Amino acid sequence: MEPILDVRDLKAHFFTRRGVVKAVNGMSFRLHAGETLGIVGESGSGKSVSQMSLLRLLPSPPLKIVGGEAFFRGKDLLRASDAELRAIRGDRISVIFQEPMTSLNPYLRIGAQVVEPLLVHRKMTRAEAWHEAEAALDRVGIPATRNALDAYPHEFSGGMRQRVMIAMALTTRPEVLIADEPTTALDVTVQAQILALLKDIQRETGMAIVLITHDLGVVAGLADRVLVMYGGRVFEEGSAEQVFYASRHPYTMGLLRSTPRLDVDTEVLPSIAGVPPDLARVGEGCPFFERCPVRLPQCSLFPAAREFGSGHVGYCHWKGEGSPWEVPARFVSKG
Amino acid sequence: MGSPSAIRVEGLKVAYGVRGGFFRRGLSSVRAVDGVSFEVAPGEVLGLVGESGCGKSSLGRALLRLVPVTAGSVQIDGLDFLALRGEALRRARPRLQMVFQDPYGSLDPRMTVFDTLAEPVQAHEALTSGRVAEQVYNALEMVGLTRAAARRYPHEFSGGQRQRVAIARALILRPLALVADEPVSSLDVSVQAQVLNLMKTLRRQLNLSMLFISHNLAVVRYVSDRIAVMYLGKIVEIGPREAIYSRPRHPYTEALVSAVPIPDPRRERGRVHIKVTGEPPSPIDPPRGCAFQSRCPLATERCRLEAPVLESLGADGHAVACFERGPGKV
Repeated sequence: MEPILDVRDLKAHFFTRRGVVKAVNGMSFRLHAGETLGIVGESGSGKSVSQMSLLRLLPSPPLKIVGGEAFFRGKDLLRASDAELRAIRGDRISVIFQEPMTSLNPYLRIGAQVVEPLLVHRKMTRAEAWHEAEAALDRVGIPATRNALDAYPHEFSGGMRQRVMIAMALTTRPEVLIADEPTTALDVTVQAQILALLKDIQRETGMAIVLITHDLGVVAGLADRVLVMYGGRVFEEGSAEQVFYASRHPYTMGLLRSTPRLDVDTEVLPSIAGVPPDLARVGEGCPFFERCPVRLPQCSLFPAAREFGSGHVGYCHWKGEGSPWEVPARFVSKG
Repeated sequence: MGSPSAIRVEGLKVAYGVRGGFFRRGLSSVRAVDGVSFEVAPGEVLGLVGESGCGKSSLGRALLRLVPVTAGSVQIDGLDFLALRGEALRRARPRLQMVFQDPYGSLDPRMTVFDTLAEPVQAHEALTSGRVAEQVYNALEMVGLTRAAARRYPHEFSGGQRQRVAIARALILRPLALVADEPVSSLDVSVQAQVLNLMKTLRRQLNLSMLFISHNLAVVRYVSDRIAVMYLGKIVEIGPREAIYSRPRHPYTEALVSAVPIPDPRRERGRVHIKVTGEPPSPIDPPRGCAFQSRCPLATERCRLEAPVLESLGADGHAVACFERGPGKV
């Protein structure tokens, strides 16, 4: 099956006075219709910048795309004109962000904001657009009364605002929804409501979702495929089951075991020593090198993709068995 | 009686005045903490969980008198902390210290780590500069930082290291108890585990009591002996860690525990999530009766009229404030 979105070796760098920050340093992935791709990583991993740069949602300068291709239905987004991109963004590819208060216009009533994509992209009449907006709000669980349409964003709670964002993103029936930490600012009981809503809508419409999150639990519940990023690089990509249960990458394995769990008592939570790299200083090597328990001399060059399993790809020179985190310190190669 | 509790809180209330709407000039009040009682034993960690606006941070701050308390008492090591004034208060302050969520906001950016740590020592103990330096270096070592760190400024550190500095500052006066308010919430997972482990180790080494406040139930499970669940200014359930996570009684605790996603796809997808609709009501105008009744699947007429109080479920200290799930109910 043809992927909807086919990104190859994307490189997006920030050119700052401090130097070149390699926020995304070679990222490839494919997204298929109806699937949810979870992109996980810690802050500064490049998970968000990669998606925002595809849609030109970041100011340039300082951001510049320095390499790669990104085919959406056969059209290279990176080489599309601004007008071509505008026609896709907010219409066939929609985005929702972490903080709905900053992405909604505080001066405009909710109704006026929900109809906007329809007026811009669908050239609907106002009456048609309002009708659609009501239906969209209804679908996300906001009774589309006059009250709701006439309200200003600050009159809504965080959860309701995120529902409004989702309604706006969905009015045009996009083929792809990019959700950037959509529930991070919400309480867990509200998060559960929003995640269930996204799942329901996906089942109805068949849209693909790119779910960007730092929360491995959210990914475990929602994602079909998972992509793990660190220091601007993709470390691993596979089905949720492959990444969670059959990872062969030291970082993924370290991340999973250092995550506190609600369902089990843990006596000692193993941590990963050190801190994430300064992206202005990473060279051609693996960005996890300093913190890796099994680093090798060849890690000074970032590895090529390697099959961990069918449809399961990893980027690591280490080929040992078992968990690298159990290896006694004295056997660890210092590279 | 045995040894006194490290922290003993009784009937604590915190209310903030808020201005009404533009046409309603009158002042109304937010009952952020609405009659809370609990104890923390020496060397024990009590986790305090709840969603935003439930009053957990106000409660933590009230213990340190950082927000005005409208009623109730706080005893630290048997000392009536809220009644203290002047010199007596100043001398008692080192017993209870606080660690905040954002170490960048709680450390003075213009002070070196040395000065940041030396300041409380100089304020509370008359020591030679040599002795002060010794204490500073000891504190740094305790949190896993080197002496070289003393010369640096907060911005030169990573988030995890800054939180270590904040912990060192909180511990340098050898407090009996610590209030930690979301201490790892701004840290990434790989670094979060380092700081949590440090806090666990220090608690054991120093026999420190802790009120560990967090919205993250998985983190709280890892560090706490007992857990208190707060909703709209009240503790709705309290008990041993195991009881709260495996046998929650309050419908809110149940919903909260079931809503937290587990990083394990097979398990997460097989779970039954108890759905609660809606969001917490405003603490400016809390409902009569039980605070949770507007979202509760079990609510009855009685819950709308009468507010339940914490009732003990057995000898293990597990208590719940719910008419439908109280003692004797299934």
